[in-house]
Amino acid sequence: MDVKLPRLAEGVESGIVVNILVSEGQKIQKDQPFIELETQKAVGSIPSPASGKVSKIHVKDGMEVAVGQLLITIATESDSANVSAPARQEASRPPEVAPDSQISGGTRSAKGPDAKTPAESFRYESKSGAPPPASPSIRKIARDLGIDLMRIKGSEAGGRIVLEDMRAYIQNLQRLTFEEPEGRTGAILKPAPAQSESIDFAKWGPIRRERMSPLRQTVSRRMSESWTTIPKINQFDDIDITDLLAVRKKYATAYEKKGQRLTLTAFLLNIVAGALQKYPRANASLDAETSEIVYKNYFHIGIAVDTEGGLIVPVLRDVDKKNLFELSKDLHELTEKTRQRKVSLEELQGGTFTISNQGTIGGSHFTPIIYAPQVAILGVGQGQAKPVVVEGKIAVRTLLPVCLAYDHRVLDGADAVRFLKEIIAGLENFPESQVKLK
Amino acid sequence: MDPIKTEIVVLGAGPGGYTAAFYAADKGKKVTLVEQSPRLGGICLNSGCIPSKALLHATAVLREARESAARGIELGQPNIDLDKLRTWKESILERLGQGIKGLAEKRGVQVVHGRGHFEDSHTLRVETGEGQKFLNFEKAIIAVGSKPAMPSAFDLGNRRIMTSTEALEIQDIPNDLLVVGGGYIGMELGTVYATLGSHVVVLEALPSILTGVDPDLVRPVARAAQKAFKELRVNTKVLKMATAGKQIKVTTEIDKQQREELYDRVLVSVGRAPNYSDLGLENTRVTKDDKGFIKCNPQQQTDDPDIYAIGDVNGGALLAHRASKEARIAVEAMLGEASAFENIVIPAVVYTDPEVAWCGLTETEAKQNEIDIKVAKFLWGASGRALTLDRPDGLTKLIIDPDSERILGVGIVGVGAAELIGEGVLAVEMGATARDFAETVHPHPTLSETLMEAAEVFYGTATHTLAARRES
Repeated sequence: MDVKLPRLAEGVESGIVVNILVSEGQKIQKDQPFIELETQKAVGSIPSPASGKVSKIHVKDGMEVAVGQLLITIATESDSANVSAPARQEASRPPEVAPDSQISGGTRSAKGPDAKTPAESFRYESKSGAPPPASPSIRKIARDLGIDLMRIKGSEAGGRIVLEDMRAYIQNLQRLTFEEPEGRTGAILKPAPAQSESIDFAKWGPIRRERMSPLRQTVSRRMSESWTTIPKINQFDDIDITDLLAVRKKYATAYEKKGQRLTLTAFLLNIVAGALQKYPRANASLDAETSEIVYKNYFHIGIAVDTEGGLIVPVLRDVDKKNLFELSKDLHELTEKTRQRKVSLEELQGGTFTISNQGTIGGSHFTPIIYAPQVAILGVGQGQAKPVVVEGKIAVRTLLPVCLAYDHRVLDGADAVRFLKEIIAGLENFPESQVKLK
Repeated sequence: MDPIKTEIVVLGAGPGGYTAAFYAADKGKKVTLVEQSPRLGGICLNSGCIPSKALLHATAVLREARESAARGIELGQPNIDLDKLRTWKESILERLGQGIKGLAEKRGVQVVHGRGHFEDSHTLRVETGEGQKFLNFEKAIIAVGSKPAMPSAFDLGNRRIMTSTEALEIQDIPNDLLVVGGGYIGMELGTVYATLGSHVVVLEALPSILTGVDPDLVRPVARAAQKAFKELRVNTKVLKMATAGKQIKVTTEIDKQQREELYDRVLVSVGRAPNYSDLGLENTRVTKDDKGFIKCNPQQQTDDPDIYAIGDVNGGALLAHRASKEARIAVEAMLGEASAFENIVIPAVVYTDPEVAWCGLTETEAKQNEIDIKVAKFLWGASGRALTLDRPDGLTKLIIDPDSERILGVGIVGVGAAELIGEGVLAVEMGATARDFAETVHPHPTLSETLMEAAEVFYGTATHTLAARRES
């Protein structure tokens, strides 16, 4: 059976093969991942639709593959008689390829000014595997113009595409291309034109050029978008975690006996969830189209994870409903999964707030970038012993540098400070009873 | 001798090769067409489609005449003059061959007769009647076709053991003819000889004749063949053949029982093999697939970027009309146009009696690939035209996508199915729906109405048959 690249996620047309997990002649089980693919959205593995033996691998590391492209051929017991049977992509499980990892929060309306159905949202699907219905002459025109008919919604009976449909599609594309720059989101979707001027760096010495991976490109685009659209304030502070560390030390062994590491991030999650409940605006989003603030009655916190492929932000669900032990456990599992690139599509979506903890690596205060459409992010540096005045005397305390970056459209300075103070107070007075294992 | 310089060399002047040569010439290219046979046209014209259809037509008249007796018209015993039959058949081939030659001349396509051999990726050596010629080309198209496969066990050098090429010559009308292989070639030529008066036995190793064709389309053919032939034996293997005086002793095996029989002639029609031996492909970068056919991409380009291959040498369905389509794609790709052999419907026709024709998705393929389809069938017993032709043994069926009602495939068995399938091909290519068939007025009384009525069966509103009303 020929295994082709299935449809991965909305808007993902292709990816780059980063790892081939099987070799020719090797046995493969149904659902066993056989290839890792890096797409614009993230890195994910593609599961095998059937059990059998890998008879041929048609792709190489670093190769760009498009949806529908042949990846491997599996000799299954049932297809010894019929080798050429096309793999039924529809039947295969959607692969674990992540959506916009940088947008960890829910659905984001990316619609153009008045595009009723944006051209890019439609994709023809047929259970029979047949190509989109269109006459040979229309297919010829599409081929000449390099237009993918899968993207055009046919208006005739049975979804047949006629010249009118293609014309409307192309006109829509042109309209979107030229109208977007003045539109709400247009300017930020493309890199600033000033930077597109090519500079000959080789003039000053030897250089090496490396193509940005799709994940890198997405990170780059999302960061620019956040930077240019969100009026942001950075609020710095330090948290005295001396007592917290003492508590942590006291209970670390007990946690380890139960197989969990008690990390600072787990404490942060616990306290931040409480603060978000008290200051719901920090957990909200802005809907600019309707001029509404969307308050969320759930507290899903994104955790920035440093992976080999780049930054990925998986989301820990219902943080407010979990105790410290559960948080430690879930956090560990989620970050491990992310590092191994096994994180699923769902686990990257729906975040309401993000914590970016660089403390394990080092660093002091830094200004994190908000993950739109969230409105705030907490950047955490490394705790350091510092001389502090305590009750008129100088004492050595461990201070944790933090920075709350927030969207001033939604949160005002006073609110933000109150929210940050709540977090600081929470960590500085963390009740030991909550750390105790029951 | 200085090599002849040309832009495009086409190797082989069959329906793929001459189409490619003419199309490239029409597009302003300097083209040289190399053909080893004295007459252009390839297998199709010289020892395939055309002569077989001429013979099938001639013998169909015989059968018609015989069957006429039951309709009150008796023509008496026909007299068969084989020489005259051959001359007539030959005259058709000559006329068509000359036609192609004339078209080549008018287009300024240079024809070189001889065997071509690649010296490298841009040089072809041709062994002609006047010695060697060297052609220096920019691009080449390999269109050398295929030849009947002859397993070495049967290859005794005895002219009574024939392939389709010799069988089409009709040396004589053997009393007992064995046809090895119940594919379309064996069935078609078996029909010719049976009608001429031979006792024909057809052996097929697989459980059914015309393997791969939907069983309901094969059934009327098998029924007719059982009447026309002395015997139709499936699940039978030929173990051995030996010369026995003026006959051939054939050892067969069925249900582990061996049997020896004597035949006056044997027709071996067990498939076809690509014709690339001694082409010098090893001097180019052209590669072959695991079945020995030349490998090429959807633009018909081989692994040697300046060499293209079309038609039977690439394997797949060995059909003249596929080769012609590929010829156009290869030329367009060479000229940098966006062209590819993708999603193209290639119809297939078997000229048995009754004929079988199909296109697009078949019921068998849908089942194998677990594709959800609806099948609408119209039996010709309800067709006025089929009855006036005295041929109610037909069936028209549509393979329909249940969601969009789009026509994914069409299958027809019955007299004239070959001509009828054209409408089906257009429907599949156009992405037509069953409703389009049903809403299109078809002339009455014709067999083409069966396509419309099949669509009406799908909607439960066929006039001439009662079908279960569709749940809606």
